Amino acid sequence: MSEREAYVGQPRPRREDHRLLAGLARYVDDIKVAGALHAAFLRSPHGHARIVSIDVTAALELPGVVTVVTGEDLAEDVTDLTVAPPIEGLRPTSMPVMPVDRVRFQGDLVACVVAADRYVAEEAMERIVVEYAELPAVSDMFAALRDDSVLVDEALGTNLVARRVHRAGDPEARLAAAPRVIEAEFHQQRQTHAPIETRGCIAQWDPGREHLTLVIGSQVPHPLRTQIVRRLGLRDSQVSVSSPDVGGSFGQKIALYREELAICALARRLGRPVRWKEDRMENLLAACHAREQWCRTRAAVDDTGRILGLTLEMVEDFGAYCFYPANYISEVVGIILTGQYGIADYGYEIRVALTNKCGVGPMRAPMAMASWVMEGTLDVIARRLGLDPAEVRRRNMLADQALPYAMPGGETLLDVNCAETMETALDEIGYAAHRPHDDGRYLYGLGLCNVVESTTYGSRFYKNSGIGGSGHEAARIIVEPDGTVSASVGMAAAGQGYETTFAQVVADGVGVRPDDVAVTLGHSDTSPYGMGSRGGRGATAGGGALYLCAAEVRAHLLRLAAHRLGLNATDGLGLRDGRIVWVRAGGSEETGLDVADLARTAYFDPLALPEGMRPGLEFYRTYDPPPMTFSNSTHACRVRIARETGRLEILDYLVVENCGTVINPLVVHGQQAGAVAMGLSGTLLENVVYDQAGRNLSATFADYTIATVADIPAIRIIARATPSSRTPLGLKGMAEGGVMGAIGAVANAVNDALSVVGAQVTCLPLTPMRLHAAIHDGIGRAAQGQEG
Amino acid sequence: MIISLTVNGEVRDVAVEPHYLLSDVLRDRLDLTATHVGCEQGICGACTVLVDGQSARACLLFAVQMEGHAVTTLEGGAPSAELRALRAAFHTHHAQQCGFCTPGILMTFAAYLRDHPDCDEAGVRAVLGGNLCRCTGYGPIVRAIMAASAALREVADV
Repeated sequence: MSEREAYVGQPRPRREDHRLLAGLARYVDDIKVAGALHAAFLRSPHGHARIVSIDVTAALELPGVVTVVTGEDLAEDVTDLTVAPPIEGLRPTSMPVMPVDRVRFQGDLVACVVAADRYVAEEAMERIVVEYAELPAVSDMFAALRDDSVLVDEALGTNLVARRVHRAGDPEARLAAAPRVIEAEFHQQRQTHAPIETRGCIAQWDPGREHLTLVIGSQVPHPLRTQIVRRLGLRDSQVSVSSPDVGGSFGQKIALYREELAICALARRLGRPVRWKEDRMENLLAACHAREQWCRTRAAVDDTGRILGLTLEMVEDFGAYCFYPANYISEVVGIILTGQYGIADYGYEIRVALTNKCGVGPMRAPMAMASWVMEGTLDVIARRLGLDPAEVRRRNMLADQALPYAMPGGETLLDVNCAETMETALDEIGYAAHRPHDDGRYLYGLGLCNVVESTTYGSRFYKNSGIGGSGHEAARIIVEPDGTVSASVGMAAAGQGYETTFAQVVADGVGVRPDDVAVTLGHSDTSPYGMGSRGGRGATAGGGALYLCAAEVRAHLLRLAAHRLGLNATDGLGLRDGRIVWVRAGGSEETGLDVADLARTAYFDPLALPEGMRPGLEFYRTYDPPPMTFSNSTHACRVRIARETGRLEILDYLVVENCGTVINPLVVHGQQAGAVAMGLSGTLLENVVYDQAGRNLSATFADYTIATVADIPAIRIIARATPSSRTPLGLKGMAEGGVMGAIGAVANAVNDALSVVGAQVTCLPLTPMRLHAAIHDGIGRAAQGQEG
Repeated sequence: MIISLTVNGEVRDVAVEPHYLLSDVLRDRLDLTATHVGCEQGICGACTVLVDGQSARACLLFAVQMEGHAVTTLEGGAPSAELRALRAAFHTHHAQQCGFCTPGILMTFAAYLRDHPDCDEAGVRAVLGGNLCRCTGYGPIVRAIMAASAALREVADV
């Protein structure tokens, strides 16, 4: 065990667990605020309508009601959100805090009641009389892109909110000249994050200090503060954002939503604390949706299955409002699509449509579709050419010597281990012995999905891609006067176990025990301004910033120790578990000094410090990761589908995971398994359904089904690691690849099984109904073919 | 109206309206916030408490129905042997990530392990089907419950 990696790598159970298991955690709605008023939002029952009038008289008459506001009322207090980064092909959009005259989706905001308690607020809501003039709605993205479509945002004059085109080489020429062109289609259904804790917040305005405090479950306290400050016309120093324990987020708790902003505005207007807790129907109807994307690939191939050129056409449904630049999610699919395959001639065209549905945002692995599309395309190629799917992958896969590789999407692939990862998976799943087959009752299939997971995005990525924003993270470490260590970064946790893993990183970086490191997160006043938790950046950006900061702490402490020991230099000195030691070959020898001694000097006896060293022990350090770090994995699964019912069973599910340095195997395994489960849940069950009038038919947990224990098979994870050559400790990140791989592996396994009856599915979710229809259509076609 | 119920071993008189849910009364009137509300529809199981020793959804009960009954929440008094074993095993097996669904699962299985000391994995899975977890994929939860059950049997055998 090297000196610097004593605690990184240990499977330490989490320090967060005690409060969670004792019922002592503090989620937003558990926090009492004396005198707080409760808000409830009246929402549109229509997919698209003009608001003719709103009569709040009867609501205001109910005892306990403090105020009722509409979009028009709040417009004075809050500026509009304009999303207009300078991105070619992206149309700028703008929205007020609450709609003033037109609602654009079912669940859109109409009015907000503030009352003494939630029961009264909801009762008052029912007394508000709204006259709507219903408008035709468009709930299908392809229909929305037609010239004669209803307009979701009249100011745009079109529903095509973004169109992005990228070319590397000359894919069209390759397609024109290729021996064969093979097309494949993929349609991923609309989903939503559904954290078990819904959204909610508490806003307090202190009129004396002119200061707003917002308690809210958030992944990104500082960027959220920046949004609030801009919209409310305040200064950064006038707003504190505090994110307590968060009951799951998965990308939902990043944006500043209109409800939260309205609560802030109301707290300031009323001079009283105002709180809001979303109910489940609101969460499913109107929080944030995700993933509704359609892709078509066209591959120029030779007879050996080698891809000579590839194009991707993609359409995404962005819903009614843009909380993010509309190209933000689909663009990453385009950028990383080719993954570990050597394809020089590649192009993508992305079109993003507005529809009369809930707005969308990133959901754990927002680029998840990329793996299914690429790996599904390879399977279609193999099937058409009568080749082995694994062999087609081998023929297109980059050799290790080809790394670093300039991907045609514009990023650089490096520090991945693709061939070995896939071969391990093939061995473990028993690939060589498998053939798709039919035993009369079941169809059996096997699916593979190689994943290249973009984990950490540095500032250079944002600049290159035109998405904008920074990818840096900031760390602060204080060695307290008693010698214990307090560490913080700008990230807020939602179950990832940062308090435990970051303590391990800091412990190794400084040379102290994890138990002597307190990690405090989630408060904009006490954490340094960082970009927060998103994507797979926690370990690399957050852990990396902390590790670099901790190294500075160690160097400083050693200089101080050398001075105390009467030395001119720190040569031969080390820090082990908080003690200053002589590092000797084969062991270490105590100096008698420890961090507490040094801290006492630094804080209380500054005249004993070396020349030029200032009193105190506070350290701040930022870190901007490389443009992009990549982890890779191979998912493989065996399935069977019941011919009579279409029921899908996963018989074996395996992942060979190749992330970077593992900080805590227990936590990493938990993240990887959790990601696979979310991917399976989305592939098999979840489905946000709208009818043609824009009515959401899936706004309860009875209709929007997420996986229970009965739906998730045992997930075998074979842990490998290929540390990054360019990040502190070799960290890379890994918490999203499981989603990417699960979609592709299961969909490919199902199509392998269905190939026995000549059928194929291209739409998710893979419900029994869909599979049953596919099987019997396939059998029908085969029968007709025989007769003909 | 005032109702009288026993909460975590203490008799409490609480003023409620007839339409108040037990989950809201526990959380907002009695400050017992370990009971979480995830769907208000009886599906997610996060609000599971014990009513007269049997697991029940606090969001599907009106507080007035609890007149004369005993409610136990995760905070409740001295923890049972089952709860102690579950907590230890959940920690060791990393069976919670965000922790929001966890109190409901602990309460469900505090009762189940008490009533089924010889439970098998199929039985545990069947009962766990009533609790939604969005983080873990359930594997570690099943392992933790089985480990807790084994630990309880070991103690019982001594």
